[in-house]
Formats: sequence, structure tokens, C-alpha cells
Amino acid sequence: MSGVVVHLPRGSGGADGGEPCGDAVTLRLGPGQVARFGRGSARTPVELRLADPAISRLAGEIRATDDHWQLTNHSSTHSYLVENPEGAGEYLRVPPRRVGAPVPFEFSRVVLPTRGDLTVSFQVFAPDHVYLDPDATGAPWGSRTVTAYSLDESATYFLVLVALCEPRLRDQSRVAVPTTPQIVERLGGHVPGGAPTARAVSSHIDYLAEEKLRIGVLDDREPGRGERRNGKREEIVGLALRFGLVREEHLALLPSPAGGGRERQRPR
Amino acid sequence: MTPPRGPEDTTEHDRTELLPPGRRVGDWVVTELIGAGGWSTVYAARPAEGRREGAGGPAGPAEVALKIMPTAGLAPRQARRIVESARREVALGHGAGHPRLIGLRESFVLAAPDLPAVDGAIVLVMERAAGSLRELLDAGVSGAERGRLIEGICEGLAHLHRSGWVHADLKPENVLLGRDGSVKLSDFGLATELTGTHGYVPPMGTLDYLPPERWRAPLGELGVQVRPSADIWALGIVIHEVFASGTSPFPGATPVARGAAVQEYGEGRAPLRMDLAVPPFWRALAADCLAPTHAARAPHTAESLLARIAAGEATRDRGTEGAGPHDTEGAGPPGTEARVPGPRDTGAGRRGRARAAVLAAVLCGTVGAVLGSDAVRDGVSASPGGTVKVFNAERGCQDRADRDRQCSLGLAIDPLRPYAAGNVVPTRVWHGDVLTADCRLPDGQPVIDEEDLRSTLWFRVRLPRGSAYPAAWLPAVRTKDRPTLPGCPVPGG
Repeated sequence: MSGVVVHLPRGSGGADGGEPCGDAVTLRLGPGQVARFGRGSARTPVELRLADPAISRLAGEIRATDDHWQLTNHSSTHSYLVENPEGAGEYLRVPPRRVGAPVPFEFSRVVLPTRGDLTVSFQVFAPDHVYLDPDATGAPWGSRTVTAYSLDESATYFLVLVALCEPRLRDQSRVAVPTTPQIVERLGGHVPGGAPTARAVSSHIDYLAEEKLRIGVLDDREPGRGERRNGKREEIVGLALRFGLVREEHLALLPSPAGGGRERQRPR
Repeated sequence: MTPPRGPEDTTEHDRTELLPPGRRVGDWVVTELIGAGGWSTVYAARPAEGRREGAGGPAGPAEVALKIMPTAGLAPRQARRIVESARREVALGHGAGHPRLIGLRESFVLAAPDLPAVDGAIVLVMERAAGSLRELLDAGVSGAERGRLIEGICEGLAHLHRSGWVHADLKPENVLLGRDGSVKLSDFGLATELTGTHGYVPPMGTLDYLPPERWRAPLGELGVQVRPSADIWALGIVIHEVFASGTSPFPGATPVARGAAVQEYGEGRAPLRMDLAVPPFWRALAADCLAPTHAARAPHTAESLLARIAAGEATRDRGTEGAGPHDTEGAGPPGTEARVPGPRDTGAGRRGRARAAVLAAVLCGTVGAVLGSDAVRDGVSASPGGTVKVFNAERGCQDRADRDRQCSLGLAIDPLRPYAAGNVVPTRVWHGDVLTADCRLPDGQPVIDEEDLRSTLWFRVRLPRGSAYPAAWLPAVRTKDRPTLPGCPVPGG
């Protein structure tokens, strides 16, 4: 666990381009760290620059707290919305001048109103939410030994992970890990908000690798690593299965394999 | 949001009601439930009447603890996780028995066709403890007890680390107390044997006891890397808990909040604020255990902490207890003096404290050499080896006990390369140190000492755990001893 990640996608920083050239910005905040956002100026510096005339110089602050984050709204007139893009319409409204409103979502989109049609928004990820181990529910957990890499089994990234692991879980051990298009097809119509795009599936895989399992850095000195440096998705599948993060019972989360014996995953 | 489907229910049944009192398990009869953890349930049991001859030894105990790890109804991969955990406990139980570790008597697979929930469960038969340190902390612990408890934990850790293991889940719940109050570390389900400087554990732990580096640790093919310094961090938390009525030094109402505080501290954004109820000596000790990085913590090995505790007792004139139990022969391995005198030691008492610490290092070292002799170390033969006493030809250095750097001697990294500055390990040794030697190399680089003695013979000696190298080479001119040892494999080959 290590705080939150703030991500301003390319070109989302407002009509005036936001950050120089409208580039994407990613900030990583450790527990207790603060990022300010707004239009910014020489006298009111901000970490996240949002260029829209309707946004104040200092529009708000994000503070990483424990495993979640808090939003402070510096505006005296506008409410900000924090949407859960995976939450089927779940959102929070943070009223003007509210200090430190806690945000419970793992994925959030902070939306700031503008005068035009184009809203300004950025994303905040809180990958450190802790989940109880399945065999540890219904008991005090404070001093328990827990899995340190906990996954939200209701999140889309978990579905993607189960789909990645499916061939291996179904004992087709020789089958290669599914490709992104195969996963898009496998999850088709099952994910809230319709079929995920290939780009969405790729970002879920990146999120799993970098924020959840943290396998981004490959250590060549590790035994057995040097000679066979696996691809990222092979690595994710290997770890998820080895450490029981994905198990046979999770296959039930996937749509049942398409009927009529059309078992795509099976080699012929 | 997709409703969670599938994984529920199968895990909801009450695992704690597996075995009724009076139920026979192997050679034992269950008397009562002690507790239930994530994967296991622990029962008290007594020997069954008419049990097999010899089971449990000639004078079996009146009571044991049975740790039952059910595998029934689990998917093969989950069962494997439990089998691996049991395997770690058994491997450690057989390899590293010690009065400060809870004893493992036997392990078997339970055949109970009438109780499907536990049929095929792995059973570990262990020494029965009177309670845990957590229970003692909750009940309140007396002042004099506290130092003894920490010393006991430290002894257990020192033994584990010397034997090449990391506990990886040290917390008051896993520190058990015998009926006589003796400290016994338990629950080695995450303990791992080191390969080189670190080992790997499954990605699990207890939030309040994880060192700052663990929060960012990547998950690798073998699990998460752990080093003995992770146990030292946990020890620092436990020391604070023992003296501050069970509270962590890190602020926060929940383990997650305290974990966040640990990270803020680890990243240098918050100072360490310990409860003033912790006496200065123990606060200094805990502060060193809680150094924010592995590198800063590494010099504070369990052994060096133990030496400081012994020295602290000696200087505080606690009667004869301080230096009592240990024999006075021999001298310690190098490195145990790493913290003498500490940077906090100031004023008039400094010299006396330093000397006491050296003495303590020497005493603990002797015990270490004996206990550590059965340790199996990666790449180093498991044979008991011999000992060599370091000899410094400089007469002025021979009767000095202050371990002045000027009188220290080096150990080579590679005995086939010239014995020069780049080829020396950081660990220094002094005249009179007793080192454990594994093997001899008759034809290394020739070395000539101050008295023109020349030799090509080298001994491979073990270094204290946590050293940059697991072993190093002592030129034979630096000792008068010539123990019978096997030949070393050619280094680097």
C-alpha cells in the first residue's frame, strides 16, 4: 500500500490545454501527501494544472489518507462531483468549501464544472484498499495475518484477471494466456457499461501489474528470471494463481462459455 | 457494479467447530479449543490412553497443542498453500530446535472419514504454552518482566537468524509463554529459509508489523522478499508495545492508518514519536530496530541487540543476572560489537558501558557459535566445521579488549585474488575472536604476516547473519589453530 495515484489524461485538462501541450500527467501521493489542483499562477502554485477560465487558481486539494483520499473544495460557489466509473452511477457531491471529504472509491473521476459543454476531469486511483481474506470474514481482523495484495473481486480489473487466468484454471495448462482481443470477446456485454474496449482491458492489465501486484520492476538477479523473462500478462497469471489470488471458484464471475460447444479457449 | 458471485458460502461454515472435546487425534485426545486462525485451528490435547509405545518420547508431556490445518473441500491450489505453510513449520521445527522456539513434536495427516471437514487435515503436535504475549500485555505486565520478555524474543530471533531463517510474522500473538514464563516464538507458517541475504514469503503479513519497505515491495515469482531486518522492525514494534501497554509507536486508530503512518515515517515525512513510558534504554533500542530503511536497520542484528541488552543489564547493576547464565570461555564472532559504543552513549559512564558491551558480545558469541553449528547455510557445507581463534601478531593489540579499529584484521572476499583493499569484506575481526570455519583452501594467495610467517593456507569462515557476504576467508597466518577441516571447493568455480 502506498497512497493514491492522480492521473490527468491527455487533453482533459480543460479548454486551454491544461498542462503544457495538454500532456497526460500522473502524480503519485504517499500517505499524508497533498496535491493541489486549479488554474494556478505564480503566486498560487498547483501540482495539477487545469486550464479553464471557470476554474479558480486554487480549486481544490487531494490528500492521501490511510488507504483512501480526501477532497477539499476551495470553490465558494461550485460543487465537485466524484464519480465511480465502475459503480453504475455511484457518485459523491462535494459541496463548496467542504474540507477533507473522504472518498471511498478505488477508482474515481473528479469532475469540475465549466461554463462550456466540456467538463474538466481527472482520475484518482486508490489501489491500497484492504480486503479480508475469504477465510477470515466474521472475526476481528486487526492483528491477523492477511494477504498483502488484496483485490476487489467485484472490480472490472478482477474480471479481466479471471479471464486471463481462465485457460490455466480450466486445466488447459498448455494454452497461452489470452490476448487482449480474446479478453474483450470473452467479457463481451458482461461488464457494466457494455463491452470493455481493448484499450480499457490493456489499462486494467497495466493497473494490475503496476499498482496491485507491483510486478513492474523485473529483477534479473532473481533466480530463474534471467533466462526466461516472461511477458507482463504471463507474469500476472503466474502470480495470481501461485498465490491463490484467483481460484477455481472465481470462474463463476465470468459469463458462461458461449453455448453450442463454441469453446473458443480450447485448442483443437 | 457486478455483484460478487461464486466465492461466497463455501467459506462461511464455522471452521472453529471441527473437533469436539474427547475426540482422539492420533495419539492424543482433544481437551479444548485454544484458538482459530485463518487456515488453522488450535486445540489443547492430552496423551491418549494406550497410545503407541515411544510416541511423544519416553516421558511425554501432560498436554500438547494440536494445530489442525484442514485441507478438505479446498481447491488444489489452496490446499497447496496450506501444505506449504505446514511444510515451513515442520522444516523449521526439525532444523532449528531451540528453547526460545515452540517445540514441534510430530506432524501427521489426520484420517477421520467420519468428520469430512478435517479428514486429510495436517496436524502439527506442538508444545503447549500457557498463553501469549498479547494476553499478557492485555492483562498488564510488571516492570521487571518486560526486559526479560524482550531479551527472550531477541534470543529466539538471534537463533532463527543464525540458523538462516526469517520469522516474517513476529507479533505478540506469536510470542508464547511457557508455564515457567519462558518466551517461545511460534507460528512459523511464514518463516522462510534465507538463500543468500534474503528469503521469500507468500504475500502475507500482519499490517501493524510490516516494515516501511514492505508496503512497496513487488510481488515476484517466489513471493515477497524478506530479510532478517524485517523481523528486527517487528521487534521494535513489540518492544514499544511491551513498555507502552500494548500500543504501537505509530499513530492511527486502525492498522491501515498506522500502516500509512509507517510509510510517512519511512519516507522521512514524519518523525518517530515513541511513548515516554518506554524507558530511555529501551527507547534507544526500539529506535534502532525501527530505523526507516533496511540499510539503516541491518547493523542492528538480533545478536547485537542481545549484546546491548546484556550490557545494559550489567551497567544497571542488576545483581548477578546480567552475566550469569553464560560461560566465559572463548570469544565472539566478528560483527557482534557493531553498536559499541552507541551514538547515544555519552558522558562518564561511556567507557564502562562500552566494555560491558564487548564482554556481552563475547559471551553471546560463544553461545552463538555452539548453537549455530548445526545451521545449514546456502552454499556452505552442513558439516559442523571447526573453530579458529584469530591471532594478531601485533603484540600491542593482543591484550586490548576495546576493539580499536587500528587493531582489527580483515577477511578476504576471494583467497585467489591479491589480498588488497578491494578484496576485503566490511566485517572486521580482532585478536581472540573465535570464528567458525567450514573448510580449508591449501593453495590460495600467499600471505606474509608482520613476523614474516608466510602461508598459502586459508580458512573459509562464516560471517554473522546480515553481513554483506555469508562467508569470508581468513589467512592461516592470522590464527594458530589448525582444525581438521574438509577442503574447500575452488572459489568462484
